[in-house]
Amino acid sequence: MSRGAGSLPLLQLVLDCIGVGAIVLDAERRIVLWNRWMSQHSGVLGDETQDRNFFDLFPEQRDKRLDGAISQALRNNLPSLLSQTLNRWPLPLYASKSQAEQGERMHQALTVSPLNMDDGQRFCLIQVSDVSAAVQRENLLREQAMALRSQTLLDDLTGVANRRHFDMAIDREARRARRMGTPLSLMMLDIDFFKAYNDHYGHQQGDACLEAVASALSTMQQRPADLFARYGGEEFAVILPDTPAEAAVAMANAMCRKVHDLRIPHQASHSSERVVTISIGVASTDASHPGEAYDLINAADRALYQAKACGRNRVESA
Amino acid sequence: MIRLSDLEHDALVELFNIGVGQAASAMSEIVSETVTMAVPAISFLNRAAAAKLLASKSTGSGRICGISQRYSGAFDTDAILMFPEEKSQEIVRLMVGQAMPLDELTAMEQEAMSEIGNILLNSCVGALANIIGHELHGSLPDYHVGYSQDILALSGDSETVVLMLHIEFVVERQQIAGDVAFIMDMSALQDLKQHVALYLARAFGGEQP
Repeated sequence: MSRGAGSLPLLQLVLDCIGVGAIVLDAERRIVLWNRWMSQHSGVLGDETQDRNFFDLFPEQRDKRLDGAISQALRNNLPSLLSQTLNRWPLPLYASKSQAEQGERMHQALTVSPLNMDDGQRFCLIQVSDVSAAVQRENLLREQAMALRSQTLLDDLTGVANRRHFDMAIDREARRARRMGTPLSLMMLDIDFFKAYNDHYGHQQGDACLEAVASALSTMQQRPADLFARYGGEEFAVILPDTPAEAAVAMANAMCRKVHDLRIPHQASHSSERVVTISIGVASTDASHPGEAYDLINAADRALYQAKACGRNRVESA
Repeated sequence: MIRLSDLEHDALVELFNIGVGQAASAMSEIVSETVTMAVPAISFLNRAAAAKLLASKSTGSGRICGISQRYSGAFDTDAILMFPEEKSQEIVRLMVGQAMPLDELTAMEQEAMSEIGNILLNSCVGALANIIGHELHGSLPDYHVGYSQDILALSGDSETVVLMLHIEFVVERQQIAGDVAFIMDMSALQDLKQHVALYLARAFGGEQP
C-alpha cells in the first residue's frame, strides 16, 4: 500500500499546515494518512499510525456512530457529518497538554467522506474540527437566555418558581432521569385548612401566609437543580433530581417541622395547636421504575391526598 | 406526470421503510432513546404542488427548515428533509435533551439538525441505490430556513418532479412529521420507474409486474 498523498510532498506539507485534523483510511480501515494536527492533539505520531487499523487505535468507537459513518463512506460511497451536539467527544483529542492531563477532551465536529481513486480504489477522509470556541459561545448564550427567561418564570406573589417553570422543569428532569437511569423525587404540598385561614383572616393576610411559607421552604433545597415552585393556589411542588425516595421523605419531614415551627397563628385550624401546618405527598422514580412526568405528578398528588386523609401536618409517600 | 403501478409504488414504500428503519436505529444509538421512523406514504408532485403541500402543514410562521444533500451518479437528485420551522426546536429538544429558548436554532443546533438530515437522507438514498443497483455519490448536508417554494427552488429549473416521502418520527412517544423531497428531472424519474420495474422483475424471478 503506498501512502496515499505521501507521494506528493507538497500536498503533505499543506495537510500538515491546515488547522483541522485529517485522517485517511483505506478500504481495510488502515490509517494511510495522519496529519500534524492529529499528532498534536492526539499525542499519537504519524509514524505510529502507519497501516494501523483505525479501531485498534480508537477501540471505543468500534460499532459506534463513527464506525457506521466510515462504513457508509467505504461501502456505500456516502458522506456523513458527526455534529458536536449529538456526538460530544468521539475521539480522545485535547486542545493542550494540560487539558490532556486533566482528561478534558476537545469539542469536535467530524465529517467522513469517501475518496475514489481513478484506479477504483476507495479511501475515506475523516476531517476533525475543533469547535470549542463555538460551544463556549453557545454556553454563554444559553446562560443569558435562561437568565432572561427566568424573569418570566417567577411567581409574582412569592418570588419562587411559577407553574410554567415547574412544567418545563419536571418534563426535563423526568426525561433526564430516564435517560441517565437516576432517581427523581417530587413533592406536592399544600397548606392545611388554608380556605378557613383566608375566610378567617382575609385574603391579604392569606397572601402574607403564602409568602411566609414559601420563603421558609424555598431555602431548604440545597442543590442547583432542585426546584421549589408554586403549583397553584396554596399548593407548592418540589422537584428533587438525583434524590431517592428515603432522602425526599426525610426532607419533607423537615419541611413539615419547619412550617410548624414558624408558629403562624391559625385560629380557624381544626388541629389542636392552632398554627399553620402543611401536608406533603412524595413520589419517586428510579432506574428500576422509570416514569413519565405525568405519572409522577399523579402519584405525588395521591400521596398528598393520603396525607390529608390521615390527619394533615404529615408526609405520605407513594 | 408519470404513474407508478400499485406494485411499484408499494415496493418503493417498502424499500424506503427499510432504509429509514436503519436510520432510526442509528439515531437511537446516538441519543440512547428509542427512535422509530416510518414512511407511510409517498407521492409524485410537481414543484409548485409540493411547495403548496408543505406550506399547508405549517402552523406557525409558514417557514420551513430544510437539510439538503445533492446526489449524483446513475441518477441525479437533490434530496431535502423538511420540517415546519416551529417543529425544528422540538426535534432538537427531543434528540439532544435540551434546546435553546430562542426563536431560531443556534449554529450548533443547526449542525445537529444537519446530522439528523444526513443520517436520514443517506438511508433513503441507500434504498434508492439498492433499487438502481448502483451507488450514488453525495455531498455533505446544508441547512436552510425559508418558505417552501424557496427551499424547493434550491436546485435548478422548474421542469422537475418531486418525489415526496412523508416521514413520521417517534421519539419518547412524541410523534413528529416531516417530509423528504427528492427533486429530479423527468428523465431521472423515468429512469427510476424503469429501475423499480427491473427491481421487481428480479425480485419476482422474471415475473412481469
